Amino acid sequence: MERRIRFRLNGEWVEVTVKPNELLLNVLREKFGLTGPKYACGIGECGACTVLVDGEPVLACLTLAVDVDGRDVVTIEGLARDGELHPLQKAFLEHGAIQCGYCIPGFIMVAKRLLEENPYPSEEEIREYIRGNICRCTGYVNIVKAIKAAAESLRAGSSSHT
Amino acid sequence: MSKIILPKRLEKYRYIGKNTIRHDGIAKVTGKLKYAYDIYLPGMLYGRILKSPYPHARVKKIDTSEAEKMGAVVVTFKDVPRKKFNIRLVSVDEVNYKDWEVLTDHPKFVGEYIAAVAAETEELAQKALEAIKIEWEVYEPLLDPLESMTPGKPKIHDKILFGQREVEVKNNIACTKEYVEGDPDRAFKEADIVIERVFKTNRRYHMQLEPKVAVVRPEPDGGVTIWTTTQTIHNTKILVSQVFDIPMSKVNVIKLPIGGSFGSSIQTNLVVLVAVALALKARRPVRIALTREEDILDHHSYQMIFKVRVAAKKDGTIIAGELENIMDIGAHQIQAYPLLGTALGWFVSLYKWKNIRYKGIAVYTNKTPSCAFRGYGNPQVTWAVETVIDELAEKLGIDPLELRLKNYVGRGDIFWGQGPTVKSVIRSDGVPELIRKGAELIGWDKRPKPGSQKGRYRRGIGVARGFHTSGAGGPLSGEVIDYTGAIIKVNEDGTIDYITALQDHGGGTLDAHAKIIAEELGVPLKSINIVWADTRTTLYDVCTHASRGVYVGGEAARRAARIVKQKLLEYAARILGDIATPEGLRIEPDEELGQGVIYVEGSPEKRITVGEVARIAWQRNWGSIAAAVSYRSYAAPPAFTVYFVEVEVDTETGIVRPVRVVAGADIGTVVNPDLAAGQIHGGFAQGWGMATLEDLPYDPETGELMNRGFITDYKVVTAPDMPKLDDFIVIFADTEEPTGPLGAKGIGEAAKNPVAAAVANAIYNAIGVRFYELPITPEKILKALKEKGEIKE
Repeated sequence: MERRIRFRLNGEWVEVTVKPNELLLNVLREKFGLTGPKYACGIGECGACTVLVDGEPVLACLTLAVDVDGRDVVTIEGLARDGELHPLQKAFLEHGAIQCGYCIPGFIMVAKRLLEENPYPSEEEIREYIRGNICRCTGYVNIVKAIKAAAESLRAGSSSHT
Repeated sequence: MSKIILPKRLEKYRYIGKNTIRHDGIAKVTGKLKYAYDIYLPGMLYGRILKSPYPHARVKKIDTSEAEKMGAVVVTFKDVPRKKFNIRLVSVDEVNYKDWEVLTDHPKFVGEYIAAVAAETEELAQKALEAIKIEWEVYEPLLDPLESMTPGKPKIHDKILFGQREVEVKNNIACTKEYVEGDPDRAFKEADIVIERVFKTNRRYHMQLEPKVAVVRPEPDGGVTIWTTTQTIHNTKILVSQVFDIPMSKVNVIKLPIGGSFGSSIQTNLVVLVAVALALKARRPVRIALTREEDILDHHSYQMIFKVRVAAKKDGTIIAGELENIMDIGAHQIQAYPLLGTALGWFVSLYKWKNIRYKGIAVYTNKTPSCAFRGYGNPQVTWAVETVIDELAEKLGIDPLELRLKNYVGRGDIFWGQGPTVKSVIRSDGVPELIRKGAELIGWDKRPKPGSQKGRYRRGIGVARGFHTSGAGGPLSGEVIDYTGAIIKVNEDGTIDYITALQDHGGGTLDAHAKIIAEELGVPLKSINIVWADTRTTLYDVCTHASRGVYVGGEAARRAARIVKQKLLEYAARILGDIATPEGLRIEPDEELGQGVIYVEGSPEKRITVGEVARIAWQRNWGSIAAAVSYRSYAAPPAFTVYFVEVEVDTETGIVRPVRVVAGADIGTVVNPDLAAGQIHGGFAQGWGMATLEDLPYDPETGELMNRGFITDYKVVTAPDMPKLDDFIVIFADTEEPTGPLGAKGIGEAAKNPVAAAVANAIYNAIGVRFYELPITPEKILKALKEKGEIKE
């Protein structure tokens, strides 16, 4: 019943044999050593396991590994390019948005998609977009601040390129 | 953007009071940081634990043969040392109640551990677990503490240990504490006004993001290496050694970052002991990672039922206070006994009651064992007392702020940092400043009259104040262990290694230590490397709890830095030559060089870098420049907090939302402003959850949690529930704590303690109804409004 699947993982094509009921989260963590996506609830309630599949935020704890066959998967480990942090990662660092940090990979992955969909999110739109992610440390204040700041720096970055 | 108001005094420091990038920040934002849950060892087995499905039962027969046939390694209560222990080792042994075993044939709550298996995969382990056959004898559960303590009810425990002495448990009362000061009976007779109220707090779950996990590797010398979620690596080491009779030198516990804890790993989580038992039997590394549904059965907060009685004179002078505290502690004691004393301590340290009576009773029930949860009983006590104080002010016609200022325990008074055996004198106090500034910013004078509003949406402003201790030190040794250790060594290039067992839960505690070291030594912050350590390479630290991390650990680090500085200056004097005394030397950080530079005061051309001193000391065989300090504080100062909260009640849905928050905190010197503010933000969020959302009801028939472990039905605060950024103001008081490192005190728990009270007082201000049972849910609000006749069915 095992199946060989092939998908793009953080920019590189990989192959792995999985069982039909194997979860993407476990495959990423145990077969590829990518422990950035976290287990925290296992039932899609907290967002800590969020990864991007074809650019869309997906809960890896509810996704079967076979479902990503042929697709593009990005985890938090794949966000920084050539040692250069993504503006969201920088903003989280600069705005004290991280405490224990366990939920942070999930927040950053969700926020990445938010800022692609909506480069000018209002504070309310940010809060709504991240409502599926639980943080028990920060009260979300500095997280929202960081996402706002990242939006600004992304806008400034893209305008300077065009 | 959310505002943070900082005292000007901080400008004199280089690193203290400045926002910096946390040392573990890059590893955290890139997903590279390894938490205990991320540890997988080569050749390891996966463990699963068989838990009792019944709240109270006995195992008549257990058959593990099928599981063993599947190739699983199995341990049951027959295979582990049958000793009773307490999984928390913070109290001294003589006052430590011990009623727990690694695995048991007599489970006392749904979720208690009976047996465990380890296998090549988690799936196989689960299948093996399901193949274990058990014949049960099932008993009726006791879920209500008041019922449980009624004479004649079934016994949850029979004989337990108190220190090394066996004691019999009567009427399911785990322990008690009573205290009287002055003549409360006379004071209540002489009072102009007496208020008496009964309060019931909620049972809450820490919901730390990282579930508990243990990875244990057996070593060839008969010892074990342990990776786990813990607030104390040393107490974990000691407990494992005591339970399994392994010499402490052969138990090594690795310090790892922890994905939140909030008190839930002050004790060694039992999963560690189970994993040790499996690993020793299997002779292979074993990993047991709790699922969320298992984690929620592992630890809850203490649910408390209070009777509060307060007596005052017409002019607002409080003359007596009484507190009766019945605590539902669940099925085992973790820190019920010390908490009976600590809850009293919070009570006596809030206001000058003058005449005091206290009765505390901790009661066993067939529920998940309770443990500390950010505030250690303080949010509960403060909610009750601050509600009564608000009522008292209204009845007396005195401004609630004035009444508080008139009666609060402040500078010069005695503070009970951790119950009756941990007392010290208050030396820093920002309460008046915080009340004044907070009132101005929230618009206290413009708040509505309680219950005066009509219409669907009603707003109200509430205030509450409180505090938390900074550690559990004091001049007397007392019943609480509280000391820590710091090692600092200068590398041969001048970079500095800082080694401590003290855990950083994410609040930035160790970044604060690094700043304190940099400030004290006069070297760049970036030259200090915080070492992730283990029990073998560190000095004892009791635990990161009681908001002691910065206050106690920071002072240990500062003292070690001071010794290192002296050595550096002595060596520099030798090298520079012609120096009369090293006391005339100064160190300044050079950010470009990434080093401290030592120079002669008044003759700056005579200079040398710290790195050059360290290199020469190495090359000339002078020895290491290092210091090791074990430190206990002689005080446990209160960090004061004052919360002003504005809420809006939707009288159609009963939903309350926070509109504005002005949070004042007196934490002495603010070391990490953004992260200290983060403690306030997070403390507010948890306090809001306590006030309005969180509860863990049990099914009276089955004795199971009603949510069956699913967090879908345990609501915590999410991003849209919080006030807007612009509407959350944090004020730090302009104070300096003489006993703290460069004037600092704690913050973690003070940040949360008065929140529920402030919210409850704001709800009263909005709709004119007081609630005496938490959480204040929409259902309760609608019911109350109906009873008041304000809304129709």
